[in-house]
Amino acid sequence: MGGICMKKVIYLSIFMVGLLGLSLFSSSSYGANTIKIGIVDTYSGPPATMSQDVLDGFKMVVNEINAKGGILGKKIEFVTRDEKFKPDVGLAMAKELVLKENVDLLMGTISSSTALAVSDFARKEKIPFLVTNSRTEKITGEKGHRYVFGIAENTAMAGRAAAYALSKKPFMKYWIAGDDYEYGHSIAENVWNNLKALKPGVQLLEQTWWKVGESDFTPYITQIMSAKPDFLIAATGGATMVTFAKAAKATGLVARVPIYQHTVIDYGVLGPLGADGPEGVYGTAPYLFYYPDTPANKAYVEEFRKAYGRYPQMFALFGYSAGRLIEKGFQKAGAVDKEKFINALEGMVIDSPVGKLEMRACDHQLQLPMMFGVVKKSPNFKDFLVASDIMMVPSKDFMPTCEEVLKTRKN
Amino acid sequence: MDLIYTIFSPKLMSQIFVGLSRTVILFIVASGLSLILGVLRIPNIWHGSLYMVGAFMTFTISGAIGGGSLGFWMALFLAPLGVAFVSLIAERSFFQHLYEREHIMLLLLTFAFSLVFGDLVKMVWGMEYKSVPVPRVFQGSVHLFGGLPFPLYNVFLLGIGPIVAVALWLIVNKTKIGKISRAAAVDREMVGAVGINVSWVFAFVFMIGCLLAGLGGALVAPTVNVSLGMDHTLIMEAFLIVIIGGLGNIWGALLGALIFGLAQSLGILIWPQFGIVFPYAAVIVVLLLRPTGLLKSTW
Amino acid sequence: MFKNTLGGKGRIVGSAVIVLLFLFPLFLPRFYIYLISIILLTGLLATSLNLPLGYGGIFQFHHAVFYGVGAYAAALMITKSGLSPWVGFVVGPFAAAFLSLIMGLICIRLSKLYFGMLQISLGSLVWIIVYRWYSFTGGDNGIHGIPVPEIISSQNNAYYFTLLVTLLSLWALYKIINSPFGSALQGIRDNPVRSGMIGINVKLHQLMVLVIAGFFAGVAGSLFIVVDTAVFPDMLFWTLSLEVLIMCLLGGWFTFLGPMLGAAVIISLRTFVSGFTDYWTLPLGILMMLVIFFLPNGILGYIQDKLYGKIAEQAEAVEQTDLAQPAVKES
Repeated sequence: MGGICMKKVIYLSIFMVGLLGLSLFSSSSYGANTIKIGIVDTYSGPPATMSQDVLDGFKMVVNEINAKGGILGKKIEFVTRDEKFKPDVGLAMAKELVLKENVDLLMGTISSSTALAVSDFARKEKIPFLVTNSRTEKITGEKGHRYVFGIAENTAMAGRAAAYALSKKPFMKYWIAGDDYEYGHSIAENVWNNLKALKPGVQLLEQTWWKVGESDFTPYITQIMSAKPDFLIAATGGATMVTFAKAAKATGLVARVPIYQHTVIDYGVLGPLGADGPEGVYGTAPYLFYYPDTPANKAYVEEFRKAYGRYPQMFALFGYSAGRLIEKGFQKAGAVDKEKFINALEGMVIDSPVGKLEMRACDHQLQLPMMFGVVKKSPNFKDFLVASDIMMVPSKDFMPTCEEVLKTRKN
Repeated sequence: MDLIYTIFSPKLMSQIFVGLSRTVILFIVASGLSLILGVLRIPNIWHGSLYMVGAFMTFTISGAIGGGSLGFWMALFLAPLGVAFVSLIAERSFFQHLYEREHIMLLLLTFAFSLVFGDLVKMVWGMEYKSVPVPRVFQGSVHLFGGLPFPLYNVFLLGIGPIVAVALWLIVNKTKIGKISRAAAVDREMVGAVGINVSWVFAFVFMIGCLLAGLGGALVAPTVNVSLGMDHTLIMEAFLIVIIGGLGNIWGALLGALIFGLAQSLGILIWPQFGIVFPYAAVIVVLLLRPTGLLKSTW
Repeated sequence: MFKNTLGGKGRIVGSAVIVLLFLFPLFLPRFYIYLISIILLTGLLATSLNLPLGYGGIFQFHHAVFYGVGAYAAALMITKSGLSPWVGFVVGPFAAAFLSLIMGLICIRLSKLYFGMLQISLGSLVWIIVYRWYSFTGGDNGIHGIPVPEIISSQNNAYYFTLLVTLLSLWALYKIINSPFGSALQGIRDNPVRSGMIGINVKLHQLMVLVIAGFFAGVAGSLFIVVDTAVFPDMLFWTLSLEVLIMCLLGGWFTFLGPMLGAAVIISLRTFVSGFTDYWTLPLGILMMLVIFFLPNGILGYIQDKLYGKIAEQAEAVEQTDLAQPAVKES
């Protein structure tokens, strides 16, 4: 009897050891001569296409840097993890990247919830975290700290820019509708509060919130149309944009009620919609690949098309900026030292397809410009609609001031 | 007269109609699920993935044939057949060996399939959003109820729904194989004893059920974002509809889908933020009053 | 419990494993300590599911609700009331048990698949409320940065706390299963009609099982807060319930330690396969299919079958020789 038991125990032990061994096997390269970047983002489900765009923009810069020999003689190495838009998975992966893969820097993610959780973790671990795609203003605002940097435009910025443009228009009776999550509420609040401040007479009729990933907007839209508001602020996230645009067109909402959506003019939304795009809708976005038509922008778009066979969406700009920040940050720091890197980033100015961008020192937010435009058909592009009547608002005209931002932080 | 007009206000009627068109998609998918659950006793979680595959196939086929109206009609015909074919292979290779085992094993196998297909779709079609254009014939909307527009494509759906329901009823009740399936659902041993190859009956039923899932996906494609994750959102709703309708009962699936779709669109009217709660609350009420479903089930 | 798992030598192996677990922080890298903490509490969650599922034969399809509610209750208690976090950790499991009681009372009249589906509906309702009630529960963000008592806030101490609580909980669950109550439960699973006939109150037993399972799921939820200082609405979502179900199946749901093993396998798989590729649900699905076809009783179940299979063979062999002698049968 002892013999049989021992054999089974041995089998079980071998199995366990095998499992443990698999972990050692899977550990990535131990290059002490590289700068290692850990990226947590959502690469499956509806947001995947946006995260991929960020990654592609980033890779373009990394390839260029590595071809030149790297930074401080070290090549850049990056690893990605798919959190599937789940904050608990995202946090666990961030922990894995820091504690096991020993990355020098964290980057990510499109999910605001994950970004906030990872930001908390980054602060405890004292590792820099570049937030490339999450838009909630809490990242550099209320929950901001030394170790987190915001690259994408946040909802405070977008809200202000949109409110600025809307206050000049004659609309008085507003309706707010959108995705029921952090980003949705944040953008709606920011647009509305700023609009009300600029134009006290505006009136909010009602709010409608649907679940993220809602596929059928018709019941909501018919409800809104029957109330006949002057204007609709649609706080939709990237994933629902396309569906909403289709429903808006099919129900005739677009023809009856003017709408504003942040990022609706981005190529990532208008491209897939093709001729079905929502004409007449107002939108904002920090980047358009066809405007401004500067040599810098043209060159960037050309390089991107050569590498990936498509036009860049606005998200690629964030990945690109992250790459440039990393390049110049470590160069200025002179060493692969986290604290020195952070000090170097504060106040740093980088070149980009949309001109010079500054990483503001007081709150660690990148100062992006904002384009405001209307969706229309274009003679230059046959397959999709574009933004026109574009107003490019420079960041200093709409960024919340340092005092305002720092006041929201509890510490 | 005035009272009637206020009760049946344009807003309400419009919401009801919208709820009905959503019902159609839910019904088509749920009826397939109900068939598989009722006859083969398989809780088919894979159903959601097949719905998603149907939508993606519609995108590819319609794009390959030029992307216009013709492309859509061809896709509507071919995509469900493609899905049915895939399901047949899966059933013959994997599922049929497990019929003697407990339900939970089959459930977990279908879940395993849905996991695998979730990644397969990502690998084959990539991650970008896909968009299927509405066929020209149905673009635009018609004005009903106090001038509120109602998309023509939704009218098309409202027409398709009853056609599918009747066709399904005919197959299940009037054809020979349909009657055999119903018998097999109740007593498979007896059917086998009479000399009928029960195994192929099951394969047939499974295929039809999955074809319906693919059809649902193809029909819904022009109205939504064809993207990863479609499977998860739909499968839970489909299951709940089947349960409240009565397992294996086509009309039950229709009734369940009606309740679910209407509860959702009316709920939005009453309480916009928590509108999503209403269908689930309706399900709970039904299950408390009639635990085995509203209509007769085959179990 | 180790004796039942692996035979006589099992006790020694079991004790060795426990000692090893306590010694891990001394030499394992930090990441593994974190990982094992997660495996321990998830294994506890899976084991608590196995109580109604494997031992009770109840179709507990939405166990994650109790885990999530336990965690949220604790988190809300800690962050909103002024009381000590320890109060929160105790409130969690009791809140979960309470929810389990309510849901159990509603669902218990149904059986099998219907029970499971009703539980999923109710659970989804709870999830919706947590997810949408942005101002109270933090909505899709969840709650972050939950303050944890000083003593258990460092990673190693959090690990020890988790280990201790998990071992105690497993011991408690084991005792419950091997008590008369547990035997009655298994009797109900195998033949509810006959059990009812010999005087066992079937529904009452099932209700008690659900409450106990809910309680320990809530314990796992509180442990999650200790390890990760955050709660997320996904903890209540039906896909997690299915994942935990898979852990039980994979490990072996007729065994006590099977679910813990299943949790270890799946969490390790998720963590390490992600190192290679982004498509980790595919290998998981394939692994599930292999297990369903070849190891229907799970990994541990398979090992035990082999083990007891050999013993049974030997016992039969012994019997054969006995048959040569006149048998004195006991009545």
